[in-house]
Amino acid sequence: MNREDVGRRFNVNISGRGSAPMLFAHGFGCDQNMWRYVAPAFEDDFKVVMFDHVGAGASDLSAYDPAKYSSLDGYADDVLEICRAFELGNVVFVGHSVSAMIGILAAIKAPEVFSNLILVGPSPRYINDENYVGGFSEPQITELLDFLDSNHMGWSEAMAPVIMGNPDRPELGQELTNSFCRTDPNVARRFARTTFLSDNREDLDRLNTPSLILQCSEDIIAPIEVGRYVHEHLPNSTLAILEATGHCPNLSAPEETIAAIKAYL
Amino acid sequence: MPSPPSTGVEEDLEDLFENAPCGYLSLGADARIRRCNQTFGRWLGVDPQTFVGKRFPDLLTIAGRIYFETHFAPLLKMQGFFDEVALDIETETDALPVLVNAVQRGSVDDARAFIRVTVFKATDRRRYERQLLEARRQADGASAELARLNQALEQRVTDEVTSRMQAEEALRQAQKMEAIGQLTGGIAHDFNNMLAGVIGALNLIQKRLSRGDLDVDKFIEGALDSAYRAAGLTQRLLQFSRQTPLEPVALDVNKLTSGMSDLLSRTLGETIRVETVLAAGLWNAKADPSQLENVILNLAVNARDAMPGGGSLTIETSNAYVDERYARDNQMAEGQYVLVAVTDTGQGMPAEVLTRVFDPFFTTKPVGKGTGLGMSQVYGFAKQSGGHVKIYSEVGVGTTVKLYLPRQIGAAAAVGRPRAELAPLGGTEKILVVEDDERVRTFAVEALRELGYTVLEAADGKSACEVMLANTKIALLFTDVVMPGMTGRELADRAVQSDPDLKLLFSTGYTRNAIVHNGVLDAGINFLQKPYSLHDLARKIRGVLDESELSTPG
Repeated sequence: MNREDVGRRFNVNISGRGSAPMLFAHGFGCDQNMWRYVAPAFEDDFKVVMFDHVGAGASDLSAYDPAKYSSLDGYADDVLEICRAFELGNVVFVGHSVSAMIGILAAIKAPEVFSNLILVGPSPRYINDENYVGGFSEPQITELLDFLDSNHMGWSEAMAPVIMGNPDRPELGQELTNSFCRTDPNVARRFARTTFLSDNREDLDRLNTPSLILQCSEDIIAPIEVGRYVHEHLPNSTLAILEATGHCPNLSAPEETIAAIKAYL
Repeated sequence: MPSPPSTGVEEDLEDLFENAPCGYLSLGADARIRRCNQTFGRWLGVDPQTFVGKRFPDLLTIAGRIYFETHFAPLLKMQGFFDEVALDIETETDALPVLVNAVQRGSVDDARAFIRVTVFKATDRRRYERQLLEARRQADGASAELARLNQALEQRVTDEVTSRMQAEEALRQAQKMEAIGQLTGGIAHDFNNMLAGVIGALNLIQKRLSRGDLDVDKFIEGALDSAYRAAGLTQRLLQFSRQTPLEPVALDVNKLTSGMSDLLSRTLGETIRVETVLAAGLWNAKADPSQLENVILNLAVNARDAMPGGGSLTIETSNAYVDERYARDNQMAEGQYVLVAVTDTGQGMPAEVLTRVFDPFFTTKPVGKGTGLGMSQVYGFAKQSGGHVKIYSEVGVGTTVKLYLPRQIGAAAAVGRPRAELAPLGGTEKILVVEDDERVRTFAVEALRELGYTVLEAADGKSACEVMLANTKIALLFTDVVMPGMTGRELADRAVQSDPDLKLLFSTGYTRNAIVHNGVLDAGINFLQKPYSLHDLARKIRGVLDESELSTPG
């Protein structure tokens, strides 16, 4: 496994002065910039590793394999590939949104790699099911996926600063105003499908690695009922409910997020 | 909507905020709406106050709501703004397409900080975008359709060409069959006529002899005449198929042409004037003299038939150089040629006749007037000689036939008329006749005995060897070429080994064999083509014996 190759494929960035690795994984939406207000707080004590999922940020778009990434397993394998390539052990994994679930799957596959999981807004299933509250009805998710499939230009242009369109002129992508959220529209469409149709409820009790669940108040993507469900079904888990609202406490309330993580570790 | 005239700056600004051509919203850090202008309310048909306290993303359709949480809210937090995001505001009946800009005002820690959201109605723009997308999809579809059409077209062209080629092949086959039909029909017709002459004469001879009447000479003449004509026909057929062995020599064509003038005048009759225009310094041609005579005679006869009312026939000779292009166009070799042009002032030929003029049995003459082999014989001779023949004709004006014969460097051979009208010469030498066909052998043996020779005979190579062992002083071996077991050639090679002075004469009806290569005799080979007459046999045997004596010193 070639470290350089993996580094390029996932746009891996390493910083920090510690030796214990802390691996930050972004969710559906942006890229590793999501961690810009949180990660620096851990650089004194940890080796901070950040990356972009294939198809997001500055990852290698040509490595995108629709079959592999049609389930979260494919993304979990990527996490393990990064850990192996960079010889990371005893990893504190910090995953936001869908990457929280990706981290759980990776730690089930290779528990020896991880010491703790920090799960920011995790959800094992987004669609309501009988007694389970996921936050969305099935028609709502269908509407979302249909909308994305129509590949509307307004979205493409707002969200796809030319990762693919102008590979020979990357500066174009940099100049665009929404450049913190570089997503190829086709990949985003597939990632949304993989994310919002996933159901990993059965996997939760297979995790033995200790975990911290960070649950926001008023998160429409992962409502508080989901956070409680995850806590109930994850052995060895701790639930911390933040005052922060929305789905991205790492951006809207970085101090509170950092404090909660530090308190847990 | 008319608005009251402004009375002061504050009212003016208030009006600008409320009635700007875009929606203005101020959000708190948690995206809750604090303030909303009249324009936005008007678009949605609602009092703008009803939005206050609601979260902005909750106004959006589900996709917008999810994307707002996962993309745009983070973006706003990271870079302080987002621009021109296409979203849909949910209404009771439908969705209102809008473009949304958002910008963080004031520092995040400041309680007065807010997010300014500007909303532009994008109904038209969204429609244009959809139309553009649709047009793009149709263009892609059209390209694909065009590619499909192209492919189909190419396939049709391929199919068409294939079927055209098949049709042409079928046509060629049909034409070939027609030609073969004409050929066999023509041969059968001519041959039947000739056989009728032979059979009829023989029948009469048989009748007369059976009643003791010995006056049968004229019938024998008639039978022989018919048989000779049949032999001539097979000769011409062979010539057309280029199977007559040629004996090309360095030939002075001027001399040959001059020598034919008597014959031509007699053949053409009084109404046709014969002119010869012979070039000075004419090169020697490489050609078989007797065949060239036949060809010129053939052309002259055709010319005569084309001038029933009389006219003139011109035979012209000249040197000619064939350049690369002419050579390529006419499938001949580039270089120096002797040109013999035969021109008449006759009826000429239309184009459709001209294209078929070299076809065997193609004739414009009435039945019984021509075999249709003349011109094909001319063509066969020209090609076999390494030359070419070309016809120019114009209806009502006349016809020119140009015969190109390759130049031969070297002195011309004597052109005589070797068939001297003398009684056949005999001799007393000992001759061995080897021939597997009993009738042919009997004829040869009897004929040679008649001429005074001592004749030994054998039916094959093996017995011929035994005869040679048992006899001495055999002067000449006259052998068939194609025989079962040992060929004539092998027999001759063996015989010459034991008797180097032995003279050889070969005979065969076939020409594709050991002594004739590419239609040309091997050098130094004496050869008598079957069928042969008594006269041919006598002359050739005597010739070989005498030639050998001349070439033997002392």
